[in-house]
Amino acid sequence: MNILGISCHYHDSAACLVKDGKVVVAVQEERFNRLKNSPDFPINAINYCIQEGGITFDDLDYVGFYEKPYLKFSRMVIGHLRSWPFSLNNFLNTMPNWLQDRLVIPITIEKEVGFKGKVIFIKHHLSHAASSFLVSPFEEAAILTADAVGEWATMTYGVGRGNKIDIQKEIRYPNSLGLLYTAITTYLGFTAHEGEGTVMALASCGEPRYVDKLKGIVMVKPDGSHMVDERFFGFNKGSRMYTNRFLKSFGPERKPGGRLEDRHKDIAASLQKFTEETLIAVARHVQDKTRLNKLCLAGGLFLNCVANSKILEQSGFKELFIQPAAGDSGGSLGAATYIYHCVLNKPRDFIMQHAYLGTGYPSNYIKRVILNRGVSFRELEDGELSRFIAREISCGRVVGWFQGKMEFGPRALGNRSILADPRNPDIKEILNEKVKHREGFRPYAPVILEERAGEFFNLECKSPFMLLAPMVKEEKKALIPGVVHVDGTARVQTVSKAINPRLWHLIKDFENITGIPVIINTSFNLRGEPIVCAPEDAISCFQRSQMDYLVLENFVIDRMKNNK
Amino acid sequence: MICKRCVLPEHRPDIVINEEGICSVCLEYDKLKQPPNKPLETDFIKLLNTYKSKGEYDCLVMCSGGKDSTSALYYMKKRYKLNPLAFTFDHGFETEDAVENIRNAVEALGVDFLFFKSDFMLEMFSEMLKTDSKAVLCHPCSIWYMDLAFKTAFRFNIPVIIAGWTKGQSTRQPLMSRCGCGVHQPEFYSMAKATNEFLDSYVKKNPKYRDFPRSMEEVLARAKLRQKCVVLSPHWFLPFNSEDYVETIKKELKWKLPGLSYPANSTNCYLNFLSVHNSMKNYGYTHYHVEMSKLIREGLLSRQEALKSLEMNFPREMLDSIAGKLGCRLDE
Repeated sequence: MNILGISCHYHDSAACLVKDGKVVVAVQEERFNRLKNSPDFPINAINYCIQEGGITFDDLDYVGFYEKPYLKFSRMVIGHLRSWPFSLNNFLNTMPNWLQDRLVIPITIEKEVGFKGKVIFIKHHLSHAASSFLVSPFEEAAILTADAVGEWATMTYGVGRGNKIDIQKEIRYPNSLGLLYTAITTYLGFTAHEGEGTVMALASCGEPRYVDKLKGIVMVKPDGSHMVDERFFGFNKGSRMYTNRFLKSFGPERKPGGRLEDRHKDIAASLQKFTEETLIAVARHVQDKTRLNKLCLAGGLFLNCVANSKILEQSGFKELFIQPAAGDSGGSLGAATYIYHCVLNKPRDFIMQHAYLGTGYPSNYIKRVILNRGVSFRELEDGELSRFIAREISCGRVVGWFQGKMEFGPRALGNRSILADPRNPDIKEILNEKVKHREGFRPYAPVILEERAGEFFNLECKSPFMLLAPMVKEEKKALIPGVVHVDGTARVQTVSKAINPRLWHLIKDFENITGIPVIINTSFNLRGEPIVCAPEDAISCFQRSQMDYLVLENFVIDRMKNNK
Repeated sequence: MICKRCVLPEHRPDIVINEEGICSVCLEYDKLKQPPNKPLETDFIKLLNTYKSKGEYDCLVMCSGGKDSTSALYYMKKRYKLNPLAFTFDHGFETEDAVENIRNAVEALGVDFLFFKSDFMLEMFSEMLKTDSKAVLCHPCSIWYMDLAFKTAFRFNIPVIIAGWTKGQSTRQPLMSRCGCGVHQPEFYSMAKATNEFLDSYVKKNPKYRDFPRSMEEVLARAKLRQKCVVLSPHWFLPFNSEDYVETIKKELKWKLPGLSYPANSTNCYLNFLSVHNSMKNYGYTHYHVEMSKLIREGLLSRQEALKSLEMNFPREMLDSIAGKLGCRLDE
């Protein structure tokens, strides 16, 4: 039984192949077409899924789409009518997309993929719920989803048992925490669907002085349900997601790239605090209603690792599961798994233990690429490679680390990563200067041996997908200053020997040299670009940055030896 | 002097190597601001759906017994679940290994097989060797083969001809429909011109070849008048490299690597050796150098691998024997 899941046409397009209930391939289109957060129909990702999955297009039994376009269209039309005539331009701009792409998905699939079988449409938030619960280790769990907006729902909760998902309540558009977060992200001069993480980091630099103001425009009940005062927002009205009334209340917007004032930091801090408080209230309510100890989270809002940690600490739930592609790319995974388990009533026996579901390249291919670029390199055996790179990192070098299969979701989790020494207090500036060129207030994340995580962080569970941000233990802060955020947290990834032995051994070797079982892990890309996918992308990124080494499987490229 | 990046030698004015040792073809490739979109398998499926057969066979597969055409046949039958007609011709110089590979493949796949044997071309080959023409032996042969393929496809009402051409033998859509012959590329310009001139003069003189097409363009023009037909290769659209599919056809179709081949690990007819010998003599490179250089630029082959494959290690006696069959002697 082969099911292809697809998500596309908004942001983070992706495709996923589920074979007999197992997720065998999952990959975002942006990695192939090199357009960050690409909304395009994921034709490259689909081709890759079929070929890597070892099947042919004729072998596909079902295609699952991650939302119901007609339902979404109805919301779009009603939303525009409610804002008429201010929404006219927006309406005219979006209509061609609806008519050409979004409302003709089965036609597109038949035309582009040649698939004439059944295409099943799963509601957006149900896809999110399925993407988390159905691949979680839990037999029974509460499920909470939240993002900007699906068809009508912006937040849902329910219960998953075995292979069934029961969505019990939903909050509907325009009442949306996700839209609020995105609107204020753009107000602060960052890009929608991309800059939310930056705002989360900025939040730690400010004081939450505007929380009461936010509570004035988004009414929150004790159960966390909320209602947005639409007079402050204009989600359908034009190029801006907020109104003049919002500007009157919060002051002028920050232009992209403009100076960051304390006011901006305080607004970010307030937004983050307000979001956390609301999510915690919702989660508490869900816990109260379901009386379950385990919670599955999904939806773009739960890429907010700071909020996730607070939910775990304060909601009453004992265990949390969030899969790495919690945003819309994960919708493809949810659609495919929902069809297999819930529509076709097949039992579950797959747990998503890692995110390494994307492209991989054999050594001979990589070697060809290196040779053809005329780059000088050397090949090291596994142990030697690990010891050598660990030593170089400990000497302050910055290393591009390209190994095995690419991660699914927005995080680089050690296979398409840039690695550096967390002991160096200046490493953030070095990384920013050499490679990432990002805002100075954004922290870099640590990856730690799973078995040692409790020693360094207030973390009692695994964090394999870098979706929790626990506090760094006070006595350890001075040991790893490079990864401690201004608020004392760190966005931790834990790595186990069984799941990623190569990365585990590298950190172990780093520990043997330094006594610290932690390395900095940041995504292998330049600012504004998607994470590298193929060896060609990695070499190009390396050549356009100032990284010291590039490691492609066992091949090591040394910048010093290639500087002419 | 060979280009430092690919394996093409300098051949002025077509191929010029600059001070850094990089050839003009590689430099032109670098100038492409955006790499050409890589064709996807779904593009192939779309084309197959566009050219759906109304007859008994879905496609005509040109089989040489080599790894690329054998795997193309395999893909059409197994991956795309079509009903192909396998088609091979023997101009009298086909190797035993190649013929055995084809027989094994068609038997294992259970596909119908058309084997065409003729000495029609011998006189032309012989004339090419006897005159001082620099025409490449393989060129009129491929013109003839392609013409035969189109005629056969027309006879059986088949709208798709499948060849086993690699990504080094053109992946660009406009060239696909022109059989990927790429005669307008600078690397082929002199060779194509010599072939064209030979055919122009020779065909006029010999009534036997009165109807012989003068160029690949003419083959296509004639075919277009007969029917709507497209020539495709699955290798242009699939990401699998030859290491992958060689393993498959070895296992499933009892495909064997021939004892002697040029380039290494390929399967070609005996005349190919002579053609390679003459091309090297006349131009300093062969069409295989062009193909492999393209594969290098596309990152699908390393320069070292290409240089190794292109090493000429076939015995002189064999060349003499092949030339002897055409009533000729090779120059020392």
